[in-house]
Amino acid sequence: MKKKVLTVLLVVATAISLVGCAGKAKNETTQTESTNASKDTFTIGFSNCSQDTPFFANMTPIIEDYAKEKGVEVVSLNADNDVSKQNKDIQDLVSRGIDVLIVNPVNEDGPSAGIEACNKANIPVITVDKNVKTGNDVWVGRDNKEMGRQVGQKLIELLGGPEAAKGTILEIQGTAGSTTMMNRRDGFHEEIEKAPGLKIVESSYCDFDRSKAIPATQDLLQANKDVVAIYGHNDDMALGASQVVKEQGFNNVLVCGVDGLMEAVLAIKDGQYACTASNDPVLLGQTAVDTAIDLMAGKKVESFVDAGTIIIDSSNVDEYVDENLDFATMVK
Amino acid sequence: MKTKLSVSEILKKYNLIIMLIIFIIISAVLSPDFFTFNNFFNLLQQASIPGIVAIGMTLVIILGGIDLSVGSVLAFSGMITSIVVYRTGNMLGIIAGCLLGIVISALLGMITGVLISRFHLPDFIASLAMMEIARGAALLTTGGNPVFGLNKSFHILGGGFIFDKIAISGVIWIILTVIVALLLKYTIFGRSLFAIGGNSEAAMLSGINTKRNYAITYVICAILAGFAGILTASWMSTGQPTAGTGYELDAIAASVIGGASLSGGAGSVVGTFGGVFLLQIITNIFNLVGLQSYYQRIAKGLIIIFAVLLNKYVSKERK
Repeated sequence: MKKKVLTVLLVVATAISLVGCAGKAKNETTQTESTNASKDTFTIGFSNCSQDTPFFANMTPIIEDYAKEKGVEVVSLNADNDVSKQNKDIQDLVSRGIDVLIVNPVNEDGPSAGIEACNKANIPVITVDKNVKTGNDVWVGRDNKEMGRQVGQKLIELLGGPEAAKGTILEIQGTAGSTTMMNRRDGFHEEIEKAPGLKIVESSYCDFDRSKAIPATQDLLQANKDVVAIYGHNDDMALGASQVVKEQGFNNVLVCGVDGLMEAVLAIKDGQYACTASNDPVLLGQTAVDTAIDLMAGKKVESFVDAGTIIIDSSNVDEYVDENLDFATMVK
Repeated sequence: MKTKLSVSEILKKYNLIIMLIIFIIISAVLSPDFFTFNNFFNLLQQASIPGIVAIGMTLVIILGGIDLSVGSVLAFSGMITSIVVYRTGNMLGIIAGCLLGIVISALLGMITGVLISRFHLPDFIASLAMMEIARGAALLTTGGNPVFGLNKSFHILGGGFIFDKIAISGVIWIILTVIVALLLKYTIFGRSLFAIGGNSEAAMLSGINTKRNYAITYVICAILAGFAGILTASWMSTGQPTAGTGYELDAIAASVIGGASLSGGAGSVVGTFGGVFLLQIITNIFNLVGLQSYYQRIAKGLIIIFAVLLNKYVSKERK
């Protein structure tokens, strides 16, 4: 009985993934497929931490599509934010005979057992987006501290420079203990400390979730009087804050975030949002695949490959507006 | 002796209100920003969506069941509605989207209810399965992406205000609470829920169609969750496939604080209203005072324990 259920589940899962692939393939031009197919190709295993948020959900198709373009096969699995599932996923990928692993770890200690298995099997490991403490060859990521720093700089500039800037900044915080949260916080604080007139009030942890950011903003606006700006650790939360600001008539409060979410880019264009630091999953995923190709070709690769970021505000927003995308893209 | 009796009598009847008042006083002392009209209207808005979910949960709990799928149904319904609103972009589309969201939620509730009543799946398992299915379906609709750029008039339902202050969603929450309270008290269906929850066999023998009432209750619960999903999407102007995560636990907690018993046969939606408000006040006051959210969770847990102990003590007194 158990076996039967398992078989049915497997069949359903395969069917779903096939349907998913078929759906994707329609939008792609198929000409690239044949170009490299005959040569000595290799297989990338991709273990994604989750596919629940747009950033992570986009990463899998980006890597799959771009690798296909390059004539490389990808097997991707999704860990559903579960550390033990990610380890099992990676072990399954090793059993399937992948040549290189790209992993977006659930957290920095999470996939250590899986990575160890790769090291034993001499499979190079590339971490993408988030990093792990040991065992990987390359980390393709972004400097989240730099993003926080750049948003801080821009904000001070918009508030009239380090001497003139005065008032309270509400900081809507991401997930407790997350390195992304801490880096975006620390980079931002570093810059804001340069303006003695500015004071930061931190919110409770809102888990990068808009529905938690809205009540937090309402409460903080209630408790703090001279608010001049709101900084969200991601755009999703900052967009929630910007909604509250609009509803409660705080028209002069500048709202800024990180990620370059298209919704935020459009809000910048409408003048309801101050700025965001781009965090484009397309460039990140493509860089990871390129790095894998370089590694397999025996090229030397630095241990940290920075995918870069850029500040989007009213001065350059037109270059990034594209309603068909989920994130502002830096791919030219 | 006499005074002791009256104290317990007061406790019996008004324990939740007393707790609410105590909390409001503590909060008002802790923060000067708490006891203001503005803050209360914020609270009303913040509590309205979990509050509407909790109404349905209370009905299911009175029946002696549990529904873990409410958060996922909320998300799925919100996604369906958002997608229709986004694709059509007009008033007709908004109405159609909301109706579709409600109908699909009702269908999901029907499936859960039938699985429990006809196929004798444990309620915990059937709703757990539905929780997974509906969440997966919600994520599948857009491949995990949120739907944004929704029609501006759609925002009024969940994010609009009467007199510029009173959240429409809050008013809806109050109205729904009153309607369901009346339904429980004055209709045969309502009273049959208590009978089934108290002793399902006896209820069946006395001629109550337990299977049908089970299904109907799960449908009502799912419709309320689905409606809360539409409000959430409208409130945030986006459809989020991850919306409502963990709402089932908040709804259960609020119902229990409000006097519902997980063994069935007891509970009130007015009590649940108070329970939701109480839980929301905790988050609110921690935000106002600026304390870390770790403490919030501890406080929430302690209050659940305290409230249930109080309810237990009161019901013992009753005997």
